[in-house]
Amino acid sequence: MIIQPFTDVNPSFFGMLNQGPLTLTIFLHTVLILPMIWIYFDEKKKLQNKK
Amino acid sequence: MSNKSASVWTSIRFWRRSAAWVTATAVVLLMWLTFDTVKQISMGSDEDLKKGIRKRIPAPTVINYHIDYKFSKKRGHEVPVIGQKEPFFGKEWSPKEAAALLHKGKLTFQAKACIDCHTALGNGAYYAPDLTKAWLDPKWNNGTMTAMIGKKTKEEAMAEFLMHPDKYPTHGRMMPNLHITKDEAIALVAFLKHMSSIDTNGFPRNFSINAKRLKGGTNAH
Amino acid sequence: MLTNKHLKYESQKIGMNYFRVAIVLFGAQLLFGLVCAIQYLWPGFLFETLDFNIARILHINALVVWMLFAMLGSVYYLLPDEAGRDVVGAGLGKLGFWVLTAAVTVVVLVYLFIQIGPGKESTIWFINEGREYIEAPRWADIGIVAIVLIFYYNVFFTYIKGRQTGILTVLVADLLALAGLYLAGVFFTDNISMDQFWWWWVIHLWVEATWEVFVGALAAYGLIKILGAKREIVEMWLWIEVLLLFGSGILGLGHHYFWIGTPEYWWEIGALFSSLEPVPLVAMFVHVLYDWGKEQGHKEAVEGEGAHAVSNSPAMAWIALNAFGNFLGAGIWGFFHTLPQVNIYTHGTQFTAAHGHLAFFGAYATILIAMMYLGVQGAYGIKKMTMTFKSKMAIGLITFGVIGMTVALTIAGYEQVLVERAELGAGWDAYFIAQNLTWMKQAMGWRLVMGVITFIGFVYLLWDLVTIGEVEEAKEANELQSAVA
Repeated sequence: MIIQPFTDVNPSFFGMLNQGPLTLTIFLHTVLILPMIWIYFDEKKKLQNKK
Repeated sequence: MSNKSASVWTSIRFWRRSAAWVTATAVVLLMWLTFDTVKQISMGSDEDLKKGIRKRIPAPTVINYHIDYKFSKKRGHEVPVIGQKEPFFGKEWSPKEAAALLHKGKLTFQAKACIDCHTALGNGAYYAPDLTKAWLDPKWNNGTMTAMIGKKTKEEAMAEFLMHPDKYPTHGRMMPNLHITKDEAIALVAFLKHMSSIDTNGFPRNFSINAKRLKGGTNAH
Repeated sequence: MLTNKHLKYESQKIGMNYFRVAIVLFGAQLLFGLVCAIQYLWPGFLFETLDFNIARILHINALVVWMLFAMLGSVYYLLPDEAGRDVVGAGLGKLGFWVLTAAVTVVVLVYLFIQIGPGKESTIWFINEGREYIEAPRWADIGIVAIVLIFYYNVFFTYIKGRQTGILTVLVADLLALAGLYLAGVFFTDNISMDQFWWWWVIHLWVEATWEVFVGALAAYGLIKILGAKREIVEMWLWIEVLLLFGSGILGLGHHYFWIGTPEYWWEIGALFSSLEPVPLVAMFVHVLYDWGKEQGHKEAVEGEGAHAVSNSPAMAWIALNAFGNFLGAGIWGFFHTLPQVNIYTHGTQFTAAHGHLAFFGAYATILIAMMYLGVQGAYGIKKMTMTFKSKMAIGLITFGVIGMTVALTIAGYEQVLVERAELGAGWDAYFIAQNLTWMKQAMGWRLVMGVITFIGFVYLLWDLVTIGEVEEAKEANELQSAVA
């Protein structure tokens, strides 16, 4: 029951992602938050260079 | 400050860049989702109805069909079911006529500020009943209101009620006379019938138990 | 409140004008709210004279408009302080103020005396648009856009030519989004789902995204001004708040797309993003109290016990109330019913009304009132403004009244959800059975009582805003004299 059958009226990309366990929200959160790790290390490098 | 702010966590620049990134990305994702949703909630066509293609929001000509609200095992909740053709105010409306009627109905719905007492699709004020599935309400289906108003069909009774709500009071809290003309009343009923055919993902839940309950009369007052 | 005598900048004088109109409209909001509350108990009250729908239009439109006025006022007031220079187009700003005030007056008079129109385009253009919160007719929409353009021109070019602080940078970006979003509400469609889809773009992206960021910027300004908090720390917090507010709030829009004909995938998006919306509100709460305690401790360490870091105690009290009220009203009461599993029952019930009352008060009314006290302090040139008896009565009664209304409406909401929705299944008949139950009637009775208490609190507030300046000014003059003597 982890992957649920597609129930919505019309199929779509987001509708497909919505079938797995939180896959849709994990996808959206990842896109939002993951690049912050890169921003973090980039800033860290800049701070160290300044020193 | 330069030697003290060795930690990125206390760097304004880090938070500013992160805020800009997250905001911009959230906006882009929302736009992407919006394109997909707008496509799905655009009205279907008369052709779709004829071929039985399901749309979340059917064409205005849905007023020519019988609409029901039934539990769907696949969806896990109740969904509108568009059935056989039935006359609406004694006739079949062409796509052009139906579109014009719905247009007038929606305009009247706004012009009379209906949403500042009622809710539609659950949004609005809470002083009067929700109108999402008003067309399907057993109070009209079973003939209670229809008989009281003395009309043969549900749509005629509804239109008459909308024109003279003060003549048919049911509770202390009653609808004021909003000087709705006959044309406007017919258009409003079309608007309500169209709204009842919208797939609202099962809202309001359990609506169909109303019909069972009112027939048996166990819970009714 | 009635003088500008100590204000150096034209911008701040315009700001004070906006505050004056805002407080009057706040009173109007409460009065029409009382009419609605009475009609719930005695439906015959003003029946077919001022029906519930019209009273409610006035109630919620006065709310939105007084807040917008107070927001414009706040920006004009803080602009010279932040940018270090006066506004670029003071004349234009003044003109904008008068035109907007005249337009609002006309709209209100039309609501009151013409009320509704026939089902034609002309009604939507000239009488009312019949869409909750943005009922203003189309001509007024266009007017509002024009005035906001003037306002934005002023803010943007003052920012460019002046000092570009972090607070102003956030405001300049936020106001652009806030103004632009209004356009999503200026159109007509026959498709009710499409209508509500875009309508939420305006309503949600205002109150759960751009307005919240606006409040964050105001709180940041207030903390620097009132406590002398360190700008670097305040602005860092502000960026964190922007990150969290927009990160959760923009896609949190999904919690309005559960049942209006939109696809099922919004269940998951709306549930998870909007559940995170309280997080920045906790952050704001911690931030305000932490800064307050820190600056107070610092002051006591330097000047000894009995010293006060706060230079405007009524404003600080309202800002502290904002921090808590925002979290409680928007955060907790919002989270109560944001999950689709709960929302399918609570959507469109008194639950929403309970949340609406506490959230608008806690998140917005409080901080805007704080800005008005800051304006009074500036206008009378008071160094250290303290609370009068009236300030205390105002904050006490209004807070008690609003929380009381919220509790009453929450109980009404529970009753409606359990009886109308869960037990009886949400029909016309189920609705009236639930409305006529004793529990609902009692709750509505308490709501009216608490509404009256709120209104008495408002009278104290108005009275205090008008008089506190002279009282505190005289007190400071006396202290100065006795110090000299």
